[in-house]
Amino acid sequence: MRSLTKKRGDMYYAMALTLPAVILALLFIFIPIIDSVIKSFQDYKVRNIIGNIPGEWNNFENYTKIFQSGALPNAVVNTFSFVILVILCQFVLGMALALVLNSNVKCARFFRSIMMTPWVVPTVISALIWMWLFQPQYGLFKYIVEVFTGGRVTDFAMLNNPSTALLGVSIAALWKQIPLMTLLLLAGLQNVPTDILEAATIDGAGSVRKFFRITLPYLSPVVKVSISMSIIENFKQFPLFWTMTGGGPDGATTNLAILSYREAFVSMNMGSGAAVTTIWMALMIVTIGVYNRLFRTQDLS
Amino acid sequence: MDIKTTRTLSLVLRYLVLVAIILFLLFPIYWMLATSFKTNMEAYQYPPTFFPSEVSVSSYLSLFTQNNQFFVYYVNNFIVSGITALICTLVSIITGYAIARFNIRWTVLVAALLVFTQMFPIVSRMISLYGLMSDIGLINTRTGLILAISAAQIPFCATLMSSFFRNVPKEIEEAAYVDGAGRNRILFSVITPLVKPGMLAVGIYAFLQTWDDYLHAATLIQSDNLRTLSIGISLRYLGELSYDWSLINAISVIGTIPMVLVFFFFQKYMVKGLVAGAVKG
Repeated sequence: MRSLTKKRGDMYYAMALTLPAVILALLFIFIPIIDSVIKSFQDYKVRNIIGNIPGEWNNFENYTKIFQSGALPNAVVNTFSFVILVILCQFVLGMALALVLNSNVKCARFFRSIMMTPWVVPTVISALIWMWLFQPQYGLFKYIVEVFTGGRVTDFAMLNNPSTALLGVSIAALWKQIPLMTLLLLAGLQNVPTDILEAATIDGAGSVRKFFRITLPYLSPVVKVSISMSIIENFKQFPLFWTMTGGGPDGATTNLAILSYREAFVSMNMGSGAAVTTIWMALMIVTIGVYNRLFRTQDLS
Repeated sequence: MDIKTTRTLSLVLRYLVLVAIILFLLFPIYWMLATSFKTNMEAYQYPPTFFPSEVSVSSYLSLFTQNNQFFVYYVNNFIVSGITALICTLVSIITGYAIARFNIRWTVLVAALLVFTQMFPIVSRMISLYGLMSDIGLINTRTGLILAISAAQIPFCATLMSSFFRNVPKEIEEAAYVDGAGRNRILFSVITPLVKPGMLAVGIYAFLQTWDDYLHAATLIQSDNLRTLSIGISLRYLGELSYDWSLINAISVIGTIPMVLVFFFFQKYMVKGLVAGAVKG
């Protein structure tokens, strides 16, 4: 009897405690998300907000328009190229740094501490730092390229060239994100049992073999979480693009975040922007779903 | 190849990797500092100079005296980030405790919802919040901005906090219950003091994330005097003063310093918290 009332009390207490978070999430996340999905099927522009006019159903026009103009396919390709490029490089470089810092190099603690600096630099400021390095007339990168090509390339402008602009933004993203990846992998490496590694060494296993057969399997939960965090972050990346290139040149760095912001808040066509974000959300959920799936089957084999 | 050469080779390789990646991570910071201490004339020299030929604080002086709208953004950023961090920590304590302690259908559902919300893009919320918040008069106010950012931060913060509560042994709570302490006393005077490291981790995380916010402020704030740092910098200084790279680098330095201080001062808690949240959570 007593335990039953306690249980009921537990339930009410848990509900009361979670109420503020639930209310905030409903008001500022779930309702807006549902509302924006609805708006994606409507003709809804800034005059609707000012005049308080409800949007009108427009027969998927928001979707067909952005698709036919080529803006949406372009943004999808850019988003995925950016996510894949950044995550691959980030994982390889982060893993290399974590392995080195986990071995007996000198001053490992010191390096582990200072390598985190880019992570705390605000995103807009990291964009500024890289814009300055890539600056087309006086930037350091232009000079380095000039020196290394023996003076043949004298007008290297990373962010102004459609074929290198996405790479430029990716480098800035990598710079900011490698530290956290390294930190998490390093924490995971400390959980790899050293006795098994030693036993393998005695059995004559090389370090490459040990890495793939022992270290990586033990790391896989950490790898899985940190990569999925990274997928979400880079899928949503906005400030780096917006500050460094604004989506240009010629749409070469327009990802889904830039496209939706442009549609909704520059062209002030909320319906069209909402159509982009709806597709974006669907893609993100599918990507994370596929990713989790792939990782699960890999675990079994 | 004998063992000795292999070992030397692997050592050399290790230091090469270390130096290369650390250089990639730290050189841009040095470049920002160096440029900020150059005169704008020298910043525009080509080929660039690797050390300022004369160390000049003229950019900092101009930032403090003429171009000081920056400090309005700076103060706003402190206010918004500070209050948001406080709200996030308080809400995360009660939510995190409930998720960690009561394994009932309701809390399982809440925990799942909180994880799910992290997948939604900010632009999607802003398209709708822009209209909704105009209706209730919260647009272009600090209160509206703080509430919208807090709602976005709380899911991760509460999940992180719950992993700290899980490490508190249940026996402590049961002992307090036997001693006749009520539910609120148990939570706030017995259990919460035990998760201080978690509170710090969550608070600092929320502060850093809010300091970095761009999209919420870009859409919800219109008047210049309420703007926060990121949006203020990119609208004012990149637009009007983009020819003065020495000044922009000085702004970057001043805008980064609080974050570096906060991080290095609380590094122990931050690292533990992030690892707990990502690796074990």
